[in-house]
This record gives sequence, C-alpha cells and structure tokens, in this order.
Amino acid sequence: MDSTLATLAPLASPFLGLAASGLNRADLPRILRDLPFGVAVVDLERRTLMLNAALERLTGFASDEAAGVPCRHILRGSFCQHQCPPLCCAKTGESPCRATSREGTLINRHRRKIHVRLTSVPVLDAEGAHVCTLEVIEDLTPLKELEARLTRTAGPGAIVGRCPAMEHLLRIMPAVAQSDAAVLLTGESGTGKDLLAEALHRASPRTRESFVRVNATPMPEALLDVELFGQAGGAEGEAPRPGKFQLAQNGTIYLSEIADMPLAQQGRLLRLLDEKAVTPAGGDRPMRLNVRVLAATARDPEGLVEAGLLREDLFHRLNAVRLHLPPVRERGEDVQFLLTHFLGVYTTKFRKQLLGFTQEALALLSAYDYPGNVRELRNMVEYAVMVCPGDMIGTEHLPPQVHFPASPRGEPEGGAPRGKHPHGKRGTA
Amino acid sequence: MSGTILVTLYRDEVAPRFDLASEVLLVTVNDEGHEMRRQELVLAHASADDLCDLILDREVSVVITGGMEDEHYHYLRWKRLDVLDGVAGLAEDALSRHLRGELRSGDILFPRGGHG
Repeated sequence: MDSTLATLAPLASPFLGLAASGLNRADLPRILRDLPFGVAVVDLERRTLMLNAALERLTGFASDEAAGVPCRHILRGSFCQHQCPPLCCAKTGESPCRATSREGTLINRHRRKIHVRLTSVPVLDAEGAHVCTLEVIEDLTPLKELEARLTRTAGPGAIVGRCPAMEHLLRIMPAVAQSDAAVLLTGESGTGKDLLAEALHRASPRTRESFVRVNATPMPEALLDVELFGQAGGAEGEAPRPGKFQLAQNGTIYLSEIADMPLAQQGRLLRLLDEKAVTPAGGDRPMRLNVRVLAATARDPEGLVEAGLLREDLFHRLNAVRLHLPPVRERGEDVQFLLTHFLGVYTTKFRKQLLGFTQEALALLSAYDYPGNVRELRNMVEYAVMVCPGDMIGTEHLPPQVHFPASPRGEPEGGAPRGKHPHGKRGTA
Repeated sequence: MSGTILVTLYRDEVAPRFDLASEVLLVTVNDEGHEMRRQELVLAHASADDLCDLILDREVSVVITGGMEDEHYHYLRWKRLDVLDGVAGLAEDALSRHLRGELRSGDILFPRGGHG
C-alpha cells in the first residue's frame, strides 16, 4: 500500500486563497446553497470544504460531516480513482485552468447508484494560481431513464405475434433464454432474428453482461481472426487486443450471418464451443471464456452444409436449439395485428391522434406479401403515420410499392411468390 | 470474533467504492481477535460480482468497504456476512477499530472540519 498524500498532509486553512483574491469565504456557501445542481468545493489536496444543498440531497452527506474528508469518499464517483482531472494534472505538473466534464456514476449514502455528469471548475486567484475546485454534479437519472426507454428495442415484449408459430416461439422463449445452450436462429431477412437474439440475451441470466453482435463481413482471414478472437500482447510491450469473444466474456455473442464466416474461423468457433477456451492470434496460451453463442442465418442451414459453406459439425453444435421466425406472408392473421401494433408505436412516437386504417388501405395492406417482412411492414406504417394528416390512414398515405408491387425477377404479377426462398423452398413456421 | 475480514483497498485507504476496488486485504483473526494471517490480493479487474464470488470463495465473515450498491449489500447480508459499508478512512485504522468492536457502517475516520 502506498501512502495517500491527501490523508497525511495537515489540514491547511482552505479558504485563505479565496480571501486573498478578494472573495469572502462566507460568501461561497451562500452563493452556492440554492443552486439547482450539486456543487462541492474541494481544496488543492482534494479534501471537501463544503457541499451545497442539492449535493447534500444527492449524496446523503451533510456538508458539516463531509468537511475535511477526501472528496472521493463523499462523491464516490466512478471517475474519482482513475480519471480525476486535478490528480491527473498534478501527475503531469500542469496547473488545471479549464473546466472538464465527464459522465459516470456515484453511489450515495443510501446505496443507490446514480448516473451523473461531473464538471470540475478550477477557481484561480488574480495571479492565476489554483485556489480550489468547484465540482459541479448534475443528476442524469431522468435522462438515462429516457435514453433506456428509447433504446430498449429488444425486451421480450418487443417480439409480438398471434399466429400459432409466433405463439409457440414466445411460449418457449423464456426457457430457451434461461438455458446456456447455443441457439441457431433462422428466418428470412426482416423477420426479426436480431431482435430475437437481443431479446434472448435480455431475458437470460447474462442480461447484465455485454451483448456483442458480430458481422463476419468479408475481410482477410488474419484480420478477422484478430477481430473475433483477439491478439496476444507483443514481445515489445504491445498491449493485447481483445477480440469480440473476449468483449462478450460472461455475456452473449451473436453471429448475425454464420455462413459469412470463413471455414477456418468456423473451426475455431467449434473448438470454442467445445472447450470453452480460445487462443488469441499470436498467442500460445488458451484463454478461458464463458460466452453464450447465438448464431443466425437467413438461408436454409441444411442447404448451407450441403453447399460446403457451413461446417456440418458446427451446424450440429449450433442446432442444439433452433428457433425459426416465419415470414410475414405465412403469419396470416398476424398482418392486421402487426399493423395495429406498429400504428400504436408510431402514433405515440409522432404524437398523432390516428384511429386506424380505412377498409381500402387495410385490404391493400393485407393483400401485400411483404418481401421485406416485419421490417418492411413496420417501415410502411411509420411512413403512413408520418404523412397522414387526418385521423384515418387511407390508401393515399401508403408507400407506392403497396399500390404497384414489383414483380420478382421480371415475372408477371401473380407468378411465383416473392421474398427469399432458399433453395427454391419457402420457409416453414 | 474469529474469521476472515476483507477490506477493499484504494492505496492505503478503504476503497471509496466496492465495485471499483481492484485490491483487497484479507486478514484472518483468531477467537481473541489476534491477527493470524494477512494477505493482499490484486484483482484482475474491478467487478462487484467477482468480488462477491471471491468473498464467498474465501469464506470471509466481515467485509469492510466504502460505498456499495444496495443489491450487493443485501446479497452479502443474505449470505450471513457482516457488511460494514460506507466506511471512509485508512484501511489499518478501520481494521483496528473493527477488532476493538468500534466500527460501524457509514463511519468517517478521516479528520474532519477544516473550514479553518
């Protein structure tokens, strides 16, 4: 244990510098007391001199009991130990002259973790010497709650459907989420594989850990290897670089199109699934990993195995649990349910008072076969809600492709069904 | 009184936050409260969950730490540990006070005042 200067130095007269610069020390508490955000006055040794009323409420400490205590023990911020700007300046020998802000959390006396933004404002005297620091703390809890609400796209409630296939999926989803088995998600583009993968993670015991999505985009194999499995530290002191699998430690990794992954990496993934360990590129010692693997493909996995694009052993390993998302055209009565669902979502988002669809619009939308699946249906409703000035969405508010559906591969309307049908087969629910 | 006491560390102080502690002091004491064994551990990374695992793994009976989230506090209490959280002060000071039976949650051991 090394020594802490702040705790060993004798307590100096803290407001001496302020008095010398013409400010009366008694003025500060009065000036700061009723500000709507938290303020702590901290001396050069990082000891707390006072807290204003807002910060007393936020931290649970009274100003009197905090006086003289190192501020890291009062603020208990995530930024206190390693990113404290005055301490950083002290290390580099610079004098802090600019206000700096950073976001983080603090844990208050009531054991509550609070998201905050801390701005450190150095107070300088007439000669430019650092006198003390004002630590201004804003409570970001309402903003963080709003952000979480807006970005929470993939809770278990985000997957909706009433057709038998979707009802079955929703019924088994909690049990699948609770298990640690690898899952293979299949379904055409736009059916919600990504959403389902994230929902599985959110409903799993790993929900507090990271969810890492991997898109095995075409890149040189060596680079992809580093990207996925990381790189060991170099002999010349190079820092080791974590790969996606290391970033997902204790959490979930989602491979969004498994067949895009080269066969060499598929082999390494198979070893990872079997041995729960991975050797980073350039390293010789395997690293133990605790990662749940979810993989998805928009194509027929058996066909991919036949075509040599997916290793058969990996397919059988991933296929332990297989969840298939049916295309919209096979979800029958779900179309109207989804239209109503997204109408509700977008009327709330755009603050409109829409009552529903006209009979003509509904007939047109029900007859359409949605090659882009739920994603296309959702975008159509978003467009319609956006452009509709009245209270009912009519045919004139629907995007052109509903009125004039394009024929696939130049076939006449009424010919072969559209959408991706791998190997000539239509997906099954 | 016998058992293992864990103090989360930040330099020579009790770590201001349980979840950010990357160093701990483990002290085993006998029935008379005499120190039998002392060990300082540097953790691979700071994590409240991993620290809870370590505490249970080492059969710690008392935890002395700084600010701690409700969830971890109640988890350790549920595991029948004594948790003295919110302690602000030098680690050795906190430890000796605990051995004298004088340490409580929320105690501030640093010299206070200073409006001089």
